[in-house]
Amino acid sequence: MSARAVVRTLVVIALALLLQMTVLLDIRVGGATPDVMFLLPIAAGLVGGPIEGAGVGFAAGIAADLLVPTPFGLSALVGTLVGFAVGAVSGGIVRDVRGFASLVALAASAIAVILYAVLGAVLGETQFLHVDLALVVTVVAVANGVLAGPAVKILRWAFASPSDRVPAGGRR
Amino acid sequence: MLVLLSITIITLDATGRVQVLTSGVKSLASDVYTPLRSGVNGVLDPIGRFFAGAVDYGSLQRENQKLQAQIVTLEHQQAATAAAARQYSALERLLAINKLPALASLTAVVAEVTAQSVSNFAATVTIDKGRNEGVDLGDPVVGPGGLVGQVIFATHSTATVRLITDGQSKIGVAFGHQEEAILAGAGANRPLQVQDVPSTTPVSVGELLVTSGLQGAAFPPGIPVAKITSVHNVVGAADKQATARPLAELNGISYVEVLQWSGSS
Repeated sequence: MSARAVVRTLVVIALALLLQMTVLLDIRVGGATPDVMFLLPIAAGLVGGPIEGAGVGFAAGIAADLLVPTPFGLSALVGTLVGFAVGAVSGGIVRDVRGFASLVALAASAIAVILYAVLGAVLGETQFLHVDLALVVTVVAVANGVLAGPAVKILRWAFASPSDRVPAGGRR
Repeated sequence: MLVLLSITIITLDATGRVQVLTSGVKSLASDVYTPLRSGVNGVLDPIGRFFAGAVDYGSLQRENQKLQAQIVTLEHQQAATAAAARQYSALERLLAINKLPALASLTAVVAEVTAQSVSNFAATVTIDKGRNEGVDLGDPVVGPGGLVGQVIFATHSTATVRLITDGQSKIGVAFGHQEEAILAGAGANRPLQVQDVPSTTPVSVGELLVTSGLQGAAFPPGIPVAKITSVHNVVGAADKQATARPLAELNGISYVEVLQWSGSS
């Protein structure tokens, strides 16, 4: 990944965090809120592969961990694992299915939330398993499924190198 | 490698070895983020109102526009009056709790709730007062009706309050004739669990639970916390199973008071 791509990705993560802590925090369905910080590693895994997915998952997770009162590093761990897994698994799948990114985001977000709750419980935060997990999984998965298309486009822009530009009048 | 790094960070933070560093970085991040959040909310609210107004404007006749404008003005006035009344009522109920003997001698900082839970896995609120105003870690927080929670994180200008419904919350409470129990949170919007009530102890639905304030307790004694909503005797069990409902209105709470209380050591 080029230095320019790293800077762009960090800007995307910062803006996503701001979006999460402002607009999305006010959207509550039965008390549960969407969580786009899990969507970033999923989109990065889809666009760039397992290494990029893991890298974005770690960075986005650490950024989220700075602002939530849960174990520091837990979001980073879950983001890294999910980003890597999505990149590794989706690489071998035919992607020409309409809504492929949304389906992957939906499934991977559900897994990410459950993984977060289970790992949190292992770390002593047993109350993570006592929240309305089905509701949180549903809200986060559906929201990320809806937002997957724009997220993939944004990450594709972030990862693009200058040589990826479409020449004037030409098609790629 | 990133997985190992994450696990290392979690372990070091959990053991407290780098907690000073992580809480410092968290405090810095929160100080940077808070004005950004206020700015974004400040920008988005007028835009939302502008688009709402623009959509209405083009679709109305001149006469209707005048009438609509009048209705909107009246509605705004009505909404503003209602909002002011609600705000007044909330502050009035908040101030009423200061009349409790247990709190009369304590210094309190009135704060506005700026954000509800920032995580799906923690029942917390963020308030607009921090270390600069004397808010510190462990300070009890009360609201209209009773105990709201405890400060678990404070920056220069904001603080995070763990609500009594959070799964990590445990409060020593007293009821009846000097009976004691533990009141544990079970997650947002879920009943509080009343623990350590021996099966022989008399307790009834509707009974008031107040902070016990025992030696070393996290809260001063006598703050109303919750009312018992259900009691069950389990055959063969040493303790009763009981649940309670918080007295403070935790959903949509707008104002709280942070009590500057250093504990009863």
